[in-house]
This record gives sequence, C-alpha cells and structure tokens, in this order.
Amino acid sequence: MRPSNFPTICSITEDETDLNELLARITLASTGAAAIFTGMVRGVTTQGDAHETEYLEYEAYIPMAEAKMKQVADEIRAKWTSIEGIAIVQRIGRLYPKTPTVLIACTAAHRGTGVFEAARYGIDRLKEIVPIWKKEVSPDGQFWVEGDYIPKPGE
Amino acid sequence: MNRIKLLFFATIRERAGTKTLEMDIPKDMTIQGLKDRLAGDYPKLKESMSSVLITVNREYAFDDAVVPPNAEIGMFPPVSGG
Repeated sequence: MRPSNFPTICSITEDETDLNELLARITLASTGAAAIFTGMVRGVTTQGDAHETEYLEYEAYIPMAEAKMKQVADEIRAKWTSIEGIAIVQRIGRLYPKTPTVLIACTAAHRGTGVFEAARYGIDRLKEIVPIWKKEVSPDGQFWVEGDYIPKPGE
Repeated sequence: MNRIKLLFFATIRERAGTKTLEMDIPKDMTIQGLKDRLAGDYPKLKESMSSVLITVNREYAFDDAVVPPNAEIGMFPPVSGG
C-alpha cells in the first residue's frame, strides 16, 4: 500500500471514544505494532500545586482543530516514514475524573521503527498548536488552564 | 471596508460575552490594528490583547499581516488540549 493510502483519523468529538474501533481502523494487513497514548481527567493532583478536580470542561475551534490535527499527522509521517495509521481524537464537553480525554495512536509494521516516539510527538504537538482549551472546576472554584506555547509563522 | 467575522474562545469568549462578532474594518487594517481597535471598543478585552493568539482563516497569523476581505478571525489564549 502506498503511504498516501495510509489511514489518518483526526477528530473532535463529544462522544465516548472507542479505542478498539479506532485501533481496528488504523490496523492494516502489514501492521504489527501500535503505540497508543491516552490522557484522562486526573481527579487528584499531588505534584506541584496539589488539588482535587471535580470535572474539566473542554471546548475547541472544531474545524481549525481538526485541520491542525491533520497537520500534526503530516508532521509525524514526515519524521517517521515507517508509520502506517494515525488516529488523533480529542473529546470535548464536560469530562469527569478517570474519563479518557484524548487519544493518539500510531501503527507500524514493527515496534522498533519510531512508533512510540511518533505517538509521543503527536500528543506534544497537539498541546502546542491544536486549538482546544479546558476549564478546570474544583471544590475551590474554577479556572481556565492556559498553555504557554506561542505558535510560529507556518505552524 | 472589509466585512470580517470574529470567533472568540475560552477566556476571550468569556470576557467578550459573546462567541462571535461581525465587524467592518478598513481594507488595510493589520492584525495589530484590529487588536488595538478591539481593545478600544471592548475594554474588557484590553488586557487580553497582549497575549491573545490570532488566526486568519484557520491559520495562525501575526501582528504585521493585513486582514484579508471576509476573513474568519479566531482569537484565543495559548491552547491547553489533551
């Protein structure tokens, strides 16, 4: 299969994400490895500013976010030519502790071809350039979580 | 004049008190000019204008760029997805 036919899934959704279904969609006959990163809402934070979280409220600039996810997928393919399928999915809306919020999955023929690094790169880049925000609601009040990355021209 | 559509998100949306706004701006107005105009017209947004990220037609844009006709302008704080 030519690289241009490799599956790329980029989506913002209010629905529960089905990991098995996504994985099936990025698994090809030639696939032998997948690296999956998923983040979830942490109810109790002990590192740094220790606090408890009631829920997170996510919002996104949906059409731009999906376009930037596609850009992240293109960057992954440019860096790791071994990558076969890519899924980048962010859930938005009100999400409670233990709920998965984001999923980045990359597949390849073998595990030693950069598939772990590719998934790591995917979540790091999502947190830099994909227009999604979260408001944290805790017993002590609520505040917007703001990132610190300023995109450069061309990003 | 150019007709543009502004989309506000997160803290900027809350301070603006609205998700969207349509505006007529001079044809040669830059992103910086637009920020200055918003800071003047909407005092609640003034503080945000120094750190706001701006997009034009869903691509990041910077202060010196001229706003194109019928642009869809996004305004929001640094992103925090994941």
